[in-house]
Amino acid sequence: MIVFKTFLKVLNKCKTPIIMYTVFLLFFSVFNMRTSGSSLSFVASKPDILIINEDEEAGITESLVKYLEKNSNIIEIDEDEDAIRDALFYRDVNCIIYIPENFRKDFLDKKNPEVRIKSTGDYQASLAELLLERYLKTANSYNETVGSEEELLKMLDATLSKQVDTELASKLDTGSLEKAGFYYNFTNYCILAGSIYVICLILSSFKNEGIRKRTMVSSMDYKAYNRKLLLSNSLFAAAMWLFYVILSFPLLGKIMFTRHGLVYIVNSFIFSFCALTIAFLIGNLVEEKNAINGIVNVIALGSSFLCGAFVPMEWLPAAVLKIAHILPSYWYIKTNEMMKGIETVNMETMKPVFINMAVILGFSLLFITAANVISAKKRRLG
Amino acid sequence: MFIHNFKYTLRILFKNKALIFWTFAFPIILGTFFSMAFSDIEKNETLDIIEIAVVDNEAFQNNIIFKEAFKALSDKENEERLFHTRYVKEEEAKELLEQGQIAGYLLLEDTPKVVVAESGIDGTILKQAAEEILQSGEIMKNTGGFGILEGGASIADISDSHLSYTMIEFYTLIAMTCLYGGILGMYAINQNLPDMGSKGKRVAVSPVAKGKLVFGSILASYVVQLIGMALLFAYTVFVLKVDYGDRLLLIILLAMAGCLAGLTLGVAVAAVFKADDNLKTGIIISVTMLGCFLSGMMGITMKYIIDKNVPLINKLNPASMITDGFYSLYYYDTLERFYFDIASLLIFAFIMTGISMLRLRRQKYDSI
Repeated sequence: MIVFKTFLKVLNKCKTPIIMYTVFLLFFSVFNMRTSGSSLSFVASKPDILIINEDEEAGITESLVKYLEKNSNIIEIDEDEDAIRDALFYRDVNCIIYIPENFRKDFLDKKNPEVRIKSTGDYQASLAELLLERYLKTANSYNETVGSEEELLKMLDATLSKQVDTELASKLDTGSLEKAGFYYNFTNYCILAGSIYVICLILSSFKNEGIRKRTMVSSMDYKAYNRKLLLSNSLFAAAMWLFYVILSFPLLGKIMFTRHGLVYIVNSFIFSFCALTIAFLIGNLVEEKNAINGIVNVIALGSSFLCGAFVPMEWLPAAVLKIAHILPSYWYIKTNEMMKGIETVNMETMKPVFINMAVILGFSLLFITAANVISAKKRRLG
Repeated sequence: MFIHNFKYTLRILFKNKALIFWTFAFPIILGTFFSMAFSDIEKNETLDIIEIAVVDNEAFQNNIIFKEAFKALSDKENEERLFHTRYVKEEEAKELLEQGQIAGYLLLEDTPKVVVAESGIDGTILKQAAEEILQSGEIMKNTGGFGILEGGASIADISDSHLSYTMIEFYTLIAMTCLYGGILGMYAINQNLPDMGSKGKRVAVSPVAKGKLVFGSILASYVVQLIGMALLFAYTVFVLKVDYGDRLLLIILLAMAGCLAGLTLGVAVAAVFKADDNLKTGIIISVTMLGCFLSGMMGITMKYIIDKNVPLINKLNPASMITDGFYSLYYYDTLERFYFDIASLLIFAFIMTGISMLRLRRQKYDSI
């Protein structure tokens, strides 16, 4: 009990970083959830565009603006050149469309007016260009054959409102799965950083020479002491895991009560165990308390960046993902990503997931062995 | 005495491993992670060739417009190619979709129908393409066979270059390093403070002008800071290929002003707070991280959100002044915004210096 009590005392001292990691997790999860909605029917992507109309809003110009409004999100920004430039740089708008003065008149007079655009060059911008291009092409075609503007607008409207039905084949709630994947990917950072930081600090406190000497001469069996220390650390890791799992229920909702949710929970449990073994290994290696902070940051941030905890895996360069194979986080996050595409959870579809989990357990075994070898060597006090 | 103190402060700073790790090595390591994680993001956001399938049934074979259009949109020679198309049976298309090999497929019966796996850009493009083909059939009909005409109103692309927004990450990294440099300044000043240890007490009773000592310590920290900054710049430019624009002198000026702001922040923290080393370091790190967070380090849009909605916060935030300075050098042609940022940094440094001077001068202790 005395070992455990001391453990709690040290734990109390390092609560600030744990709180900080959790705040990060909460902030980014909530931030992320606000942006992606979920739906079971097809929702077309809409580019964010800004229209700067220097022409009067009537006739064909009005019709163009209306068409763009219907098929994209119009962003309102002050007519200040700097604000507009910033909006484009930070992707608040994907495309700025400048409708020139006298567009309507020039168009009807067949003077071939030019609509200028500024785009970010990403796919949303391409989509905006596609829409604008189609409108102009159609309008040009009718302009040649139709006499009055009124008739032109009517035909334009009739043609452009022809739609193609779109159906969603999968019944997967991709929105919720996306959120769950994001949340559990992010916990990679919290679990790693939290366990390494706390466990290293605790181990190094117990390793303080005076304390060690006192423990050694005390009547407590060395093995029992070690066992208790190990147990307390495992208890801490389990508590942290449980905390993050419980937190995920109100944040993610329904999805956590499905089989998919169960896989996320089991996966994070196995990873927490692995994080515990990593922390144990590092705790045995590191002598100096000052170094712990640096090591935590390098290992936790490194694994998170390289394996796709912050930036989605599909966006990472192939070479980085290859390197990431040597990190347990990669296999943890890979399972989370896989779950997004698996429709029914059964023994057959879970095979690759089991393989990932086995790899994580293999890593854990490796770390435990290494930690034992090192601590055996260090047991003697000079 | 000034030179003596300057020299020894340099040695003390360089010998402190933790200090050198946080101010020299950590930014370089973090920069490497950034570059590994972010280098492909923007490439992934451009439109790729989309994998699709078309159900090859009788209706499709008989519909010349659709057949030709999909052939053209999948043609390797075509510059505006959108799709890689497989022509398959309906069952096969369903299977491909389930396996995730295609983003969606087109089924032509009486009317065209698009089936996709999930809502998103790929499905939208397929839907838009199918609609465009459908609509061009309409145009054909309405214009008596003229079809789509070339010419008429057109689009002119006048997009800016320098639109790589991931650069902001590296600019915040520089800002972080500038402000972390404050730890150096704080550490150096602590050596001269009587309440921080016996070394400070000895310094305090020595018959040397304190201004000289403090100035020597600060200058030494600044030198160390600039060396670290030069290393980081060299690394980001030559290894990570970060683009700072091409106005080299202004870039150096900004980096120096940024370092000065960080340094004076550290000195002020050392002077104002009566606490131990760890707490003072904690304060500097918290201020730095909060500042970097608000200027976009943990999510680039954060800077934009703050700039747009509560501009005052980032006008007071030194990390944001530095980030914004680099941003304006990279993206803007004019220099007004850049000089505003430089001026803000200098004013910030001036205020911090003022606060430190008020606290450091004429200190007296009855007992410590």
